[in-house]
This record gives sequence, C-alpha cells and structure tokens, in this order.
Amino acid sequence: MFSRFGDTNLDFTLLDEFRRRLDRVWEDMDSSWATQPTNGRTHSSSAWPRINLYDGGANLVLKADVPGLSEKDVHVTLNESGLAISGERKVAPPEGYSAHRQERSSFRFSRSLTLPCKVNPEQTEASVKNGVLTVTLAKAPEAQPRQIAVQAH
Amino acid sequence: MANQTELVNRSNGRVEAVQQREAIAPVVDVYENADELLLLVDVPGATNDGIDVQLDKGQLTIVAKRRDEAPGAPIAAEYRGSDYLRVFSVPQGIDPSKIDAQLSGGVLKLRLPKSESVKPRRIEVKQG
Repeated sequence: MFSRFGDTNLDFTLLDEFRRRLDRVWEDMDSSWATQPTNGRTHSSSAWPRINLYDGGANLVLKADVPGLSEKDVHVTLNESGLAISGERKVAPPEGYSAHRQERSSFRFSRSLTLPCKVNPEQTEASVKNGVLTVTLAKAPEAQPRQIAVQAH
Repeated sequence: MANQTELVNRSNGRVEAVQQREAIAPVVDVYENADELLLLVDVPGATNDGIDVQLDKGQLTIVAKRRDEAPGAPIAAEYRGSDYLRVFSVPQGIDPSKIDAQLSGGVLKLRLPKSESVKPRRIEVKQG
C-alpha cells in the first residue's frame, strides 16, 4: 500500500514537472512576443511598411504604419497594374546626445501591390495622420457592388 | 520583464485577464545628455489620450493605446493594431514630476530631466 502511494506520488511529481515546463514554453513564447521590440524593419518579413487593406464597399482603403513620416516623405503611385508606396525614413540622432539604444533606423522603402479590383484614379486620396498612412481608392463603376432586387413570382 | 508576466501569464487558467487586448513592444531610441534622458518611441496610430507614461519605483512604463477603426471588411492584414507597452529601468535621480511627453506623427518623445543632484559638475581648479 505504501509503495503504491509512493508510485502515484512520483507520477504526480513528473506530471507537475512536465506542466511547469509546458508553462515555461508558453511564457517564453509570450515574452518573446511581448518584450522583443518588433524592429520597424524586420517584423516577420522585411517588407516595410506593413499594410492592411480593407474593402469599404464603394472604395478600397489601405492603411500602413509609417511612424515619424510626414506627407512629404511618402510617395503613393497608382498605375494600371496596381499601387506603389515608396519613400525614405530618416531618423537623425539629436545633437549633443549620446545614444544608449537605437532601434529606430533610417532606410528607404518601396512596396507595390496589385489591387483586387479596378479603381478610379481620379478619386484617390492619401493622408498621413498619427503616423498612419491612409489611402482611399474609389472603385471603378464596373467594380462597385450592385444591389440585385429579388423578385417574387 | 517581471511585471509583464501579469499581462501574459497563462499558467492560471481560472483567472480572467483584466486586459484582453494584446500589447507589443514598440521600437525605442534612448539618448542621454548632461541634463536629461530622451526617449523616442514609435507608436503609430496612438493618440494623445491613449498614452500613459508612469515612473514608479525606478520603472518607467510606457503604454500607448490605439483605436483603429476598420474602414471596411479586411482583405489583407499584415498588422493587428495592437497596443504598445514597454517598461524600462530608469536610473535614480530622475524627477517624475518633470517628465515631458510629446506625440507627433506617431512618434512619442519623452524627456526625463535629471535632478540637480545627479547632474555632472565641473570642478573648478583653483590656483594654489
């Protein structure tokens, strides 16, 4: 009886140890997500800026994080094959300071993407606010969603 | 690190997390001169009212919340619009009441002025 109890105890100890290790795995993974700075340039891919594209019904909306950039620094080009975003990010260290840590970097960037439908180049607007670039592209008339009336017979 | 486990610790499954939104660490530049520490933090999408900077027990906690409204149905998403969180240990001699924060173009600029007692002082050498 005694030995039985001892065995069970040992099993539980092993289980506990296993659980502790599993917990560490999650923690390690979480902390590597949460505490490693996602360097502006190397976040899972070298593409910068990261882009979100939305379908707003009558228009397409593109959003991209461009911290520290102003309207002058971003060039948005629209052509037959798609949309291109390019520019340069300049990070100048302030005068008279010594640097402890520099994670923000200067670089040139350029990205292009194919749009999922035709757009009207005349009605395209781009703006930068709070470090987020927003490009609103009106869909071409033939790409606009159309409501089909369902008829009763 | 230690204080971040509160946010991300999953070991106790019965306790519900207070904060559901995930937070990522923003990129930061840290500069120093004789008068102050200067931090530049990239927090695109954050607005003034979403920023919370606290200095407590030698730890500087920078929180920036972003509230992006999706302008439609997502077609492609490369980022999730997470909040920002980063904690630094700050040397003694920073006056918490004089910390100055400015947000411009998605970059948060934090000035942490050193108190008089820790500023470097040039010692005059007198003629003997």
